Amino acid sequence: MIKKLLIIEDNPENMYLMRYMLTISGYEVHSAENGPLGIQMAREICPCAILLDIQLPEMDGYEVTRALKNIQEISHVPIIAVTSYAMVGDKEKALASGASGYIEKPINPDTFVEEMEYYISKKRYPVEGEPDESSDC
Amino acid sequence: MQSKARKNCVRASIPARMNIIAFWHILLLALAMQIFPMLLISRQVKVGITQNPPKTLINSSGEADGIFVDILNAIAEEEGWEIHYIPGTWEETYLRLQKGELDLMPDMAYSEERSRAFSFHKIPVLSSWSQVYTRKGLEVHAITEFADKRIAVLEKSIQQSTLETMVTGFNLPVQFVPVASFDAAFQAVVDNKADLAITNYFFGRMNARKYGLMDTAIVMEPSSLFYASLKGRNLDLLRAIDIQLDKMMHTPLSAYYQSIRKWTSQDIGYRLPQNLKILLILVGALLVFTVAATFIFKHQVALRTRELQESNIEMEHRIMRRTAELADAMQRAQEADTLKSAFLATMSHELRTPLNSIIGFTGLMLNELPGKINGEQRKQLGIVQASSRHLLDLINDILDISKIEAGQLDLHSESFNLRESLDKLIKVVTPQATKKGLEISVVYAMQQQEIYLDKRRLEQIVLNLLSNAIKFTENGSVKLLVGRFGNEIKIQVIDTGIGIPEAELPHLFKPFRQVDTGLTRKYDGSGLGLSICYQLTKLMGGEIWVDSKEDVGSIFSVKLPLNQEVIL
Repeated sequence: MIKKLLIIEDNPENMYLMRYMLTISGYEVHSAENGPLGIQMAREICPCAILLDIQLPEMDGYEVTRALKNIQEISHVPIIAVTSYAMVGDKEKALASGASGYIEKPINPDTFVEEMEYYISKKRYPVEGEPDESSDC
Repeated sequence: MQSKARKNCVRASIPARMNIIAFWHILLLALAMQIFPMLLISRQVKVGITQNPPKTLINSSGEADGIFVDILNAIAEEEGWEIHYIPGTWEETYLRLQKGELDLMPDMAYSEERSRAFSFHKIPVLSSWSQVYTRKGLEVHAITEFADKRIAVLEKSIQQSTLETMVTGFNLPVQFVPVASFDAAFQAVVDNKADLAITNYFFGRMNARKYGLMDTAIVMEPSSLFYASLKGRNLDLLRAIDIQLDKMMHTPLSAYYQSIRKWTSQDIGYRLPQNLKILLILVGALLVFTVAATFIFKHQVALRTRELQESNIEMEHRIMRRTAELADAMQRAQEADTLKSAFLATMSHELRTPLNSIIGFTGLMLNELPGKINGEQRKQLGIVQASSRHLLDLINDILDISKIEAGQLDLHSESFNLRESLDKLIKVVTPQATKKGLEISVVYAMQQQEIYLDKRRLEQIVLNLLSNAIKFTENGSVKLLVGRFGNEIKIQVIDTGIGIPEAELPHLFKPFRQVDTGLTRKYDGSGLGLSICYQLTKLMGGEIWVDSKEDVGSIFSVKLPLNQEVIL
């Protein structure tokens, strides 16, 4: 069974880059260019992971994360922040809002897929002692 | 000790009356008091008197009067003497005393010469001096100006002898005009029979104005005045005079003081010598001037004080204004600084987004994921990749600097093995060194490898220094020395590179300072690396410094304190 991924990213070039890499790696990639659309699609397709840009129009990545975590059916889906926000606290902020992982842009094409899979397998990034559930996807 | 009952007649013209009743009364009283009867017979004393007011004079009633008379009468009353005053000129009286016709002569100035012919008691009655008087308009200031002048002097007086001695001494041609009294002396000047007159102080003070004469500055022969007797005679009188004078002088309001006040207060007491008057006027004027000056100065001081206060206030205002301006400028600078950091952060984010695509797709193509590429394409894509990575380094450095300057960089200390950490860094840079043919080595001089520090920042510093060393060394070696000294670690990166000119050393750790702009072409780098190292070291409480010699090499040293050591 092909694993479904959802990418929420407003920059078409970056969207294309990630989609390309992940498709080659054997994923079924769905995309949304803003938060509300992303949340709607997440409900519909129930991906095994969501790659989320933080700087988005209208609704930023932190808000999207909190909204996704509040939806019963998809609250277990790991969210990985992929962002060029690189100021102090950006990573912490993303993890605090409920993200499982954090990948800094610009992404390294050699390691990106590996990194993403690591976070998906971990499910929750820093919290220890929690049962390591495997993905439903 | 003596009876006071009997009143002596002291009038010169009237012989003393004998009151029989009184006499017997006293006699009985004296007997009752067992006093030697001889004393009861009153002592008859003949006293010469001259017209020499206020000391001695015959008053308008024809009676003897004056200071000496008053005092002598008081003494006579105490001593029970009966005094007979015999008037005469000074000379007549003087001669009478010499002939023994008089018992006492008052108002005799003591001199050695006189003491050979006369006896004096010991306590002076008065002190006096002689002064020279002259007509108005005739100015005499010194004794030398007596030359060719006629001087009226009292015959046989002390002034005469003194003056004679003086003019002889100065060899002055002076003509003496002898007169019988001081009045006569003044009259002689008035009548132009003499130019100058010399009298005693008491007389001159009292009478000069009356004659229209004025005093000169010439004062001589300060003298003490006594009652005198013929040598060796009437010594009992002189002794009694001393006793009584002493008593009177020690008694306020005694006859002595009353008489002096009476004779000197009216005319003399309130008149002051001319020079004293001038002095007083001068003193007065000075006082007025001083007071005025004081007021003026006070006013000026007050004025100055006010001016100073005003300028002080103005200064304060100015300082306050300046301080406010500075505070404002500071705030604006801080705001600008914050703004700059925010700007850099935003820029770095905005720059990363397109870089993400560039680096990402370049990587994909070089990995031939989309398809095969030929040799030339690989070479060109390689350049794109290297350039975009350099651009990313720049952006990261800028981000670091702006984080530090914005105070947003926090340290996250952890326990780690320093050796493992540094070995990893050596591994990372070894390919670069090997490519340039450089020898790279590391020496650890420490037992305990576990330390507690911000690992990521420490690695950032060391990596930066190693990369720099390799970048600026064309041949030779790059050495990493790591030592632990007590509670600190010292890390040194030693290279045999191009070195740093001495002039550049002070600026080395400032942002955007890559030595020699020409090098930027040859050695890429943001010029921010050392600045970041410096800021990070400082943040970690350590030090960084450099020793370098051009064309020999450089040694970059970092010293970091190990504050929270964890020994595992």
